[in-house]
Order: sequence, then C-alpha cells, then structure tokens
Amino acid sequence: MNGGCKHELPADPDWEQWLARHAPALLLFARQQARCEADAQDLVQEAVVESWRRSQGAPPPLGLVYATIRYRAIDLARRDERRALREVAARQDGPQCWFDSGVVERERNLLIQKAMSHLPKIYRDVVTLKVWGGLTFGQIAQALEIPANTAASRYRYGLMELRKLTKEVFA
Amino acid sequence: MNDQEQERYEAELRRTPPARLPEHFMARLLAAKPLAVPARAAPPQPAAGRFAWWSLWRWLAPAMALAAAGLLVGRAHFNPASSAEKKPLAAAYGLKADGVQVDEELVSSFDVVARLPGGEPVRFRCRKWRDQWVVTDKARGVEIEQSSPRVEVVPVRFETY
Repeated sequence: MNGGCKHELPADPDWEQWLARHAPALLLFARQQARCEADAQDLVQEAVVESWRRSQGAPPPLGLVYATIRYRAIDLARRDERRALREVAARQDGPQCWFDSGVVERERNLLIQKAMSHLPKIYRDVVTLKVWGGLTFGQIAQALEIPANTAASRYRYGLMELRKLTKEVFA
Repeated sequence: MNDQEQERYEAELRRTPPARLPEHFMARLLAAKPLAVPARAAPPQPAAGRFAWWSLWRWLAPAMALAAAGLLVGRAHFNPASSAEKKPLAAAYGLKADGVQVDEELVSSFDVVARLPGGEPVRFRCRKWRDQWVVTDKARGVEIEQSSPRVEVVPVRFETY
C-alpha cells in the first residue's frame, strides 16, 4: 500500500491526529461491512463526519463511530437502487488489502485477510473491533448492539476459529 | 486455547496493522472535517446571590398567594364578627320582629294541553304565584317586605278535567 499521506489542507491537529490514529481500523471494519471499496470509504467518511458533528466537534466515542458505520452499511445494503451500482463497482474494484503489507509480510497478511474473510461475520466483527479497533467489550457491545458477555464469548470463539484458519501463518 | 496462548495470538495479530488509508481518501477525510455546531445558548443564569433569591421567590410568591387566600376564607368562616352576616337580616340589625306576615297571591292561572309521545293528551295547569312576607318592628318603626314570583305546573289527566 502507499506510504504516509501528504496533504496541504488547513491544519487541525485534533482532527488529523484522530484520523491518523483511528481511520485505518475504521476503514478495515467498513471494508468488512461493505461490498466494495468505494462504499467502504463512503461509510467511513459519513460515520466520522456525523459522529464528530454529534459530539460538537470533539473527538467522538469510538464505539459510536463503529456503530454508525454498521448502521450505515445496513442502510446501504437495503437500498435497491444503489445495489446494482455497487455490484458493478465491486466487479471493477481490485482486491483490497485489509492489512498493511510490506514487501516481506505481504504473503502473510493476505493469508490473514483470507482467514478473516472466511470467519463467520458475527465473530469477524468482534475480533476486528477488539484486536484492530482497540475497543473494550463494553464498547463493542454498544457498537454491535449485543450484550458485553456475548461480545466476549464471540471474541473467544472467533479467535479459536481464526487460529485454526491461520495455522500455516503462525506455525 | 488457554489465556497465555490467547494473549500470544492476539499479539501476533496486532503485529499486522490495518492497511493505511489511500492517499486520496485521507485527503478527502481531512477536507470533510465538520464544522462544530455551536451548543445551544443556555438561558442566562443569574448570579449566585440572585439565583438564591430567584429560587426562593419562585416558591414564596405562590405560597404567599395561597396563604392570603386561606386567610380570607378562614376569616369568612371563623371570624365571629362575620358570623353576624349569616344571621337573618332582622337579627343582624338587632330587630325584634313583633309582626310577621306570610302571604301568597295568585297572579294568573291557565291550562295548557300537550300530547305524550304515544298521542295521549295531557293537560297542565299552570299557576303564577307571588310569595310575600313582611316583618315589622314597631319599636323601631321598621318594616321589611320581600316578595318573589313562583310558578306552579301541575299535570292533570285529560279525563278528569
């Protein structure tokens, strides 16, 4: 993937730092919710902007942003008009790399991505939010609208499944 | 998988960070920073001292109004002076009636015929009366006279008429 992002926009340290820190994980989660890269990016942008607006310009709670991505993804999937366009776009999209791929680790990361995509969605969401989103089980529960205990058990089962699927990577 | 294995595995996974954002997307996000919506202006709060008075007044004013109303009602009911008002006028003014006349005077009388829903005729006898009473206190030379009209309606069976 590309290196650091260069931009010449009015500097806003809070906004920039927050995006630099959280946007990659948000996009990772959005990619798992959407069927194409364009939709995933739209989801992230809409959720981030909406969450910041709701929190009066202060950094919003992460759980809220992930929850907004999830709601928006559900809305998007329901919109029949956009479905056809999205499927066309999905066919045009190349495979997106979910993880940061240096030259050395590209193979390994692709295997993890493949394993993650084979993981049942209920497990994949929790594992993504916990491992790469850095959310607590309470925040995950808020984002996915499930009890915190369910989030914890799904995480444990998800990790076990993922471990089986990535045996060759972490042998 | 025990806890140690789980922690080790989590650490391995975290070594693989999410992909960085495409440059154009990062630029898009940076440009999309929402303008902070100003918080709704809160109603001006009075200073601490004023607030205390204001808060006190909010409760004191209705309480005082209630208390005043209660006093008026209580005075009307329990004040001995006012109880005189409830006495008959004559007694209230210390009159000693030595003559009382009660009279009724027939002013008019007429009959009205109506029909019941079943068609049966019914006759009503209507009478207008004037009731009158006169109280006199010869010692004081006072005479009080009052009269009031009264209407009397009596149904009468048609056959009995």
